[in-house]
Formats: sequence, C-alpha cells, structure tokens
Amino acid sequence: MLEISHIDVYYGDLQALWDVSLTIGDGEIVTLVGSNGAGKSTLMKTISGLLKIRAGYIDCDSIRLDRLPVHRIVEQGISMVPEGRRIFPQMSVLENLEMGASINPARKVRQHTLKRIYELFPILKDRAKQLAGTLSGGEQQMLAIGRALMSQPKILLIDEMSLGLSPLLVQEFCRVIKGINKLSKLTVFLVEQDVQLALSMAHRGYVIENGRIVGQGEAKELLCSEEIKEAYLGMEKADKT
Amino acid sequence: MNAVIQTILIGIVIGALYGLVGLGFGLIMGVMKFVNIAHGSFIIIGGYIAYWVFTLWGVDPFLSIPAVMFVMFFMGLILYRLVLSPLLKYPRAEMRIDKSLLVTFGVTWILDNVVTMLWTSDTRSIVTAYTGTTFNVFGARLGLTGLIGLVIAVLVAVALQLLLTRTYFGKHVRAATEDSGAASLSGVNVQRTYLISCGIAAAMAGVAGVVIVSCYSIAPSMGLSWLLTAMVVIVLAGEGNIAYMLPAGLILGLIQAISTLFISCAYQQPISLIIFILVLMFKPNGLFARGR
Repeated sequence: MLEISHIDVYYGDLQALWDVSLTIGDGEIVTLVGSNGAGKSTLMKTISGLLKIRAGYIDCDSIRLDRLPVHRIVEQGISMVPEGRRIFPQMSVLENLEMGASINPARKVRQHTLKRIYELFPILKDRAKQLAGTLSGGEQQMLAIGRALMSQPKILLIDEMSLGLSPLLVQEFCRVIKGINKLSKLTVFLVEQDVQLALSMAHRGYVIENGRIVGQGEAKELLCSEEIKEAYLGMEKADKT
Repeated sequence: MNAVIQTILIGIVIGALYGLVGLGFGLIMGVMKFVNIAHGSFIIIGGYIAYWVFTLWGVDPFLSIPAVMFVMFFMGLILYRLVLSPLLKYPRAEMRIDKSLLVTFGVTWILDNVVTMLWTSDTRSIVTAYTGTTFNVFGARLGLTGLIGLVIAVLVAVALQLLLTRTYFGKHVRAATEDSGAASLSGVNVQRTYLISCGIAAAMAGVAGVVIVSCYSIAPSMGLSWLLTAMVVIVLAGEGNIAYMLPAGLILGLIQAISTLFISCAYQQPISLIIFILVLMFKPNGLFARGR
C-alpha cells in the first residue's frame, strides 16, 4: 500500500502542492484527475523521487520513500511511465527495455519479463532491433509502458498516457492496463487529463485543484457527480435548467 | 612520392593519438555535459607515472599501461567526487558547461603546478632499447613506438565502443547521456554511472600520456595544448559521438601532416584551430552528422 500523508512540495520558492494526502491500496487502479497545472504531474514526480517534499511523508509498505534517490524508489517496486514517454531515441527498442530492468532482482529475470512484455505488445518484438526514435507515437507509448514493467513493479505510475494518441489506441492501452491489473494484481496510479477515460478505468479517484485534493470517491460516483460533470466533462448541471 | 607516404604515415600515427586524447574528454563531455579542462593535466600525469616507473624500476612503458590506468581511474573518481558531482545540481547543459569549465580550469592550475614542483619543468621522454627502431613501409619509415601507439589507440577506441554497446554498464552510460531523468526512473543509478565514466575517462587520459611520453615527450606545461587538440577532435566528431572520435582524430592528424608538405610545420596548431572554427561554422554537429 502506498500512503502519501500531508505533503507540501515546492518548485524553488513556489509551492505546488498543499497538504496532499492519498492512499493507494494493493491491486487498485486509482486515478488523480484535475485540470492543467493543478499539480497532477507534480505529485507523480514527487512519488517517483524527482521532486523532494518539504513536509509530510510518503511511505510504501511501511518503508519511507521520500528520502530515497530515484533509482532506489524503483527498487522498492514503484515504476513510472513519464509524461511524454521519454524513451531513449538513440537506443534500440530492446536496449530501452533492458534499461527498464536495471535494478538487480529484475535484471536476473529479464528474459522472462521480456517475453511477457512481447506478449502484451507484439509489435515491440518485431521492432526490437530498431532505434526507438523511429517508432510511432503509439509504439513509443507501448515501449515506455514496457520499459516501466521491466522492473517488475508492485505499483505502476502512469503520467498522461492518452496524450497525443488516437482514441482507438487509447482504448487499446486501457484494455492492456486493466488486463495487467486483473491478472498480475498490479497496482496502478493514473494521472490523466481525459477525466472520462480515467474515471472509467479506475476503481477510485481523487480530484486535485490548485495543488490541493478537493474530492475523492469511487470512480463511478465521481463520474456521476454534478461537480465533476460540470468542471471537467463540459456538461451543464441538469437541475439548473 | 616517398615524402608523401612518409607524411601520411606520420599523420595516421599522430591522428590516432589525437583520437585517443579526444576519447576521454569526449566521454565526460557527452555523458555529463561537463567540460573537463583538467583532461590535459591527466594526460601529462599519466605520462609522468610511466616515466618514473620506467626510470626507477625499468618497467617498459607499454607494459606499465594497466598500472597507469588503475591509478588514473582512481584520480578520475576523486575528480568526480570532489569537483564535478557538486555541479550536478545545475540541471541545464549550458550551466554545467560554464561552471565545469571554470572549476576544472582551477584544478588544472593546481595539478600543473604540483607536477612542476614535484618533477621540475624539464621536458621528459622515455628512451627504450627499441625507441629508434623503424620499419620500411613502401619506402617510408615507420617507428616501432609510433606503430605500438597506433595499435593501442585503436584497441582503446574499440574496447570503449564494445563497452558502450555490449555491456549493461555501457548501456546505462548511453541511457544517462540521452536522458538522465528517464534513466534514473528506469532504475539506473545515474550518479554511480557518472562516477565510473569519469574514472574510465581519466584512465584513457593516462593511456594517452603513456603513448605521448614513449613516442614524443612531455612537460608539465603541455597539458593545455593536448586539451586544445581534444577539443578540436570532439568538435570534428560531433559532441557525444564517441564512435567517431578515432576517425575524427585521424582526419585531423592527416590534415596537419599533409599541410606540412605545403607550408611550414610551425603552422600546425593554427591549422587545427582554423579547422575547428570552420567545422563549428558549417558543420556544428560534427563532420559525420547527417542532414542539418
């Protein structure tokens, strides 16, 4: 279980997150929705260790994460698919995947994990020798997810998965991620601008606004709530007409 | 005709050495975006270690290479820990280049003066039993030490290339070069990768020093002129293009050598700097860059 408790995060002197708390249980798909600049990606970067917290704590199965360097957090079983994919364009697809298995236990079983990832995304196998920079956007997203899975994480963090992808591809990714979640009991924490998509995938959701958590609940309830409909889905409130 | 072949041979031998000098400098520049001005001093120190091991114990300079590499590797680690790693807090490449330039210039100042104090400013070279030996190649003469230097430069370049493409550590280096943030998110210990890269770069400077003291000569003041050569080589190869360092060195060596057929060899350094400027103006991504 990942527990984030009352954290404050700053960019330099600028505070980006205020007193944010949330929990992600084992095997859950949890999403964080909010508009542009609300602090969604900031929270992702904070969990993965790229940003440091000034107050509160982050804790995974009672191990403090917030003082660990980024690669040690990966060792604790938390792997992130970064926003904009950030694959290594001058390295081959296979090498990119190998990089995902950099931590020690994952490196030993990487051939096995690789086979599983090729089953999820067969196209990566066909393109294994190709430079990753030559892949299409969708293939690069597959590679980014594959690379994150190579470390055999307990928790997968996905930052803006749908960005720049066709609706058809987005559907495909949803199916794959729900599949892994069900089959391998992989916990998924999803940050998404596409609120409808995120809430239809997730079990539970949190709403963030201006760096503060302003709402939470079952994904289905949130999807039906009037505030969410009005603020993020572009629907008028039904009772006000 | 013989003079032409002789010139080309000289160009190849010195060019391979230029490539070797560029390799270590280019590795740090490519991976960490640090300009290591102290690279020239490291070359000189490597040369002095070989010189003293030869003078005191009579160990052949080329056989002392592993020991020199070992010592220089640790000097590289110390350089990283004390001087370079504090600069990692600057996230942008331009800032790292500025700061590292200043700081390592200071290191160079210290090292060069320490070397002068320890071993005086005399020019030294190693003279072994085979130093004067030459072969006849199509009527031109090729020195044995020069040939060994050439072989060593090629071996080091190939070994580095294999390290970067075939080993897990090498792939970590390339991943950290491309996107250090994404590398750490993949579980790569970027700091450790930087540390060891620095050690390897310093070890390669040491090898270059051994070749220089065996084929040519060294003095404490020569570090900066070798550094200048390294800079020209990495500009020719294109920044971060480790695979092209040796070809770039060979091209530079050949141009310099061939120029002596037409003008005085006193102009060799200006010629390499003119090439440096021309390449920066017309092929800023290096001679081997495609497009742009």
